[in-house]
Amino acid sequence: MDALNNLFVNIAAAIRGLFADSHSFGADLSINIIVFIMLFLIMVVAALFLSLVERKFAHWVSQRSGPNRLGPHGWFQFIADAVKMLGKEDITPANVDKFLFKMAPMMLVGVTLMVFGVIPFGEEMVAIDLDLGILYFFAVSSLTTLGILMAGWASNNKYSLLGGLRAVAQMISYEIPLIFSLLGVVMITQTFNLSAIIEAQKTIPFIFLQPLAFLIFLIAGIAETNRAPFDHVQGEQEIVAGPFTEYSGLRWGLFMLAEYGNVVATSAIAVTMFLGGWYGPEFLPGWLWFILKIWLVIFLMMWVRWTFVRMRIDHLMHFAWKILLPLALVNIFLTGLGIYVYDLFIVRIGG
Amino acid sequence: MFGKGLLKGLSITIKRLYGPNLTEYYPEVKPILPSRTRSSMVLEPEKCISCGLCVNACPNQVIILTSEKDDKNKKVLQTYHMNMGRCLLCGLCTEACPTKALKLCQVYENAVYHREELLWDMMARSKQANISSGKVE
Amino acid sequence: MMIEGTQEYSLNMGPQHPSTHGVFRMVVHLDGEVVTKVEPKIGYLHRGLEKMAESRTYTQFIPYTDRLDYLAGPHNSLGYVQAVEKLMDTEVPERAEYLRIIFAELGRIASHLVMIASGSLDISGWTPWSYCFRDRERILDLFEMTAGNRMTPNYFRIGGVSQDVPEEFMPALKSFLEDMPEMIEEYYGIFFGNEIAQSRMKSVGILPKELAENLLITGANLRASGVQYDVRKAEPYGIYDRFDFEIPVLYGCDTYDRHFIRLLEIQESKKIIEQAYKDIPAGPVMTKVPKVLKPPVGKVYHRVENPKGEMGWYIVSNGSTKPARVRIRTGAFVNVQMLPEIVKGWKIQDLVTIFASMDLVLGEVDK
Repeated sequence: MDALNNLFVNIAAAIRGLFADSHSFGADLSINIIVFIMLFLIMVVAALFLSLVERKFAHWVSQRSGPNRLGPHGWFQFIADAVKMLGKEDITPANVDKFLFKMAPMMLVGVTLMVFGVIPFGEEMVAIDLDLGILYFFAVSSLTTLGILMAGWASNNKYSLLGGLRAVAQMISYEIPLIFSLLGVVMITQTFNLSAIIEAQKTIPFIFLQPLAFLIFLIAGIAETNRAPFDHVQGEQEIVAGPFTEYSGLRWGLFMLAEYGNVVATSAIAVTMFLGGWYGPEFLPGWLWFILKIWLVIFLMMWVRWTFVRMRIDHLMHFAWKILLPLALVNIFLTGLGIYVYDLFIVRIGG
Repeated sequence: MFGKGLLKGLSITIKRLYGPNLTEYYPEVKPILPSRTRSSMVLEPEKCISCGLCVNACPNQVIILTSEKDDKNKKVLQTYHMNMGRCLLCGLCTEACPTKALKLCQVYENAVYHREELLWDMMARSKQANISSGKVE
Repeated sequence: MMIEGTQEYSLNMGPQHPSTHGVFRMVVHLDGEVVTKVEPKIGYLHRGLEKMAESRTYTQFIPYTDRLDYLAGPHNSLGYVQAVEKLMDTEVPERAEYLRIIFAELGRIASHLVMIASGSLDISGWTPWSYCFRDRERILDLFEMTAGNRMTPNYFRIGGVSQDVPEEFMPALKSFLEDMPEMIEEYYGIFFGNEIAQSRMKSVGILPKELAENLLITGANLRASGVQYDVRKAEPYGIYDRFDFEIPVLYGCDTYDRHFIRLLEIQESKKIIEQAYKDIPAGPVMTKVPKVLKPPVGKVYHRVENPKGEMGWYIVSNGSTKPARVRIRTGAFVNVQMLPEIVKGWKIQDLVTIFASMDLVLGEVDK
């Protein structure tokens, strides 16, 4: 079990062992390149697979079978989708801002990939073990807004512009409850480092200590990744496809990649902060537990998406500023109170 | 109050998620249509008496038929064409047919690549066994 | 309100847009996302049905009536054949009358199911949409096994119906009626009872009673604005006077009520079908009519309560086999005029919901 648990760590150590000095510049560089490629593959495969699972889920809920042609019960459909996306014609409409139009999808994918850098998939299995991991996550993921606005503005399409402006309004509003909901965890653990936060959950996952914060994080996370019931940015019934209306082929595929990549990243952060990361019963290796928990969160998000209808845009804003933010503040207050009482208690008993 | 309806919705979807699947695997499993379904036309030229009632009954002038008189002064069908591009498949022609030579059938894969192929030669089609039987194989 | 130097934003929605329900086109003037003005543009599905009627015999026009409101084919045909029968003074056999009522009301249920489905789809409720279509499919199967086609059954004839129902029809109808309460509960649970959907639709797009009456709005849209008016009760046609049913009326005047009243009407239609199922007599389904119909010279106006609103048939006969003039008053066409009145000041996403709540079918609007 230990060997399985440390499989990837051992592989990395073995690669480092190929170099004379295992901490030389060359060893660091090659390890970083390998990790980068691995992360990219994880993101692409996860996003493609997720797009298939989403369709399957939607169809099961509505008593249909979903994609069912390629492979057993259609489970290889995502490969066909990827190939199709690569083969489609890439159209750049006339009168678009060509530079921004082409930059936007690349930027979104790049930003999503950067988020994956700090996610600890297992013990010591993190690409960059930043001390300010959470702060980095928020700083980077808020750049997504810019990418979507770029796409909306550059497309020179009225629907796209509406979608881009909606994205700015919505995503900036929901970032605040998102950040505030995590402060409770940070107060308990006294660190921003994601690995250290998981270490602190060895005995009890923080979802039991911070259930309210988990709920706020899940809601704000769904809004942050633009999924129903908060999918105003795309809102296909209103503004066709929002900022992505004019995109086709691989560029459109990159948008989808970024979107599903963001879903995986947000779920991974939820698992890290609230569900105890790689800790789980011993019969499975830690990194597998981490992936399973990510899927659990994704399942929750899909379940919500295919049940609820889209909220009204003014209710959306009210919900962020008048309900979620005060609740997050209450949560911080309660956490502070709890820590204070706990400290008093410990001091009494200990003293 | 707020949230009760949401939970009810979630319980319905989770119940349906594990429920049975109602759709058909179409090209592999073909549905059996009811015997009255109007999806295609079939002619039995032996029964046809070239009375032309179907031509008159049709709202869209779909049917074009020609006939010749034989030595007993009886009409014999020469050609029978249907322009399916204009056909509503309303079935009024089959209701008008006194000898039930023109019938509806349940062949529903009628798509063609060219517009000209929509002009059906009903006499030639009746010779193709699977179509004239009027049944889906 | 508008700051100097800013401009109104005009957005062309349709004829190809995900939620214009066909080929409706509207030019929307926006201030930000707030709608200041909407200009409906119709006519993309105009097929000239009134003119077509003049060039076809009375019987030949029946298949076309199904294509007016293609979601509830039987009820349009019902209006037409009853108008011609009125003109010719034809008696219809009892069994045919009952079958007509069953089919017309099944068509109403199917139409309302599509309305609820597309209304939920327009606010991104994909799952309620597929549940409604799942159950509508059973109605269409009933149509298919009896009349031969799903959406355009072409079942009614002048003087009766084209053929009697097959023997498997009645058991299938019974099991459908038995399953209906469960279906309605499901729609309520997933869509109408959902607080997000309610907050999305309640008090949006108010159509006050006076405005509705002044704009000649008919059908469920009028009844959701607090006017209890239904041609089936006000001027019973066919054998509607024999059935015991209510005319549901709601006083909210908003989008939610315009959706919810359809659910109530489905329940009333179910009551009518249940009574017809119980009382239906045996006997012929077609009376003796001449092969070539030549109604006497004269004119007739007949109106029926179509699922989309009041439908009127004005037929002028000059004694020949073809009508001299046919004029169709369709409910949906008249109902379009409420759109510019009630969307002012709402956001673009409310425009989509309000449009869905009007329950337009472009086949009926453009004729």
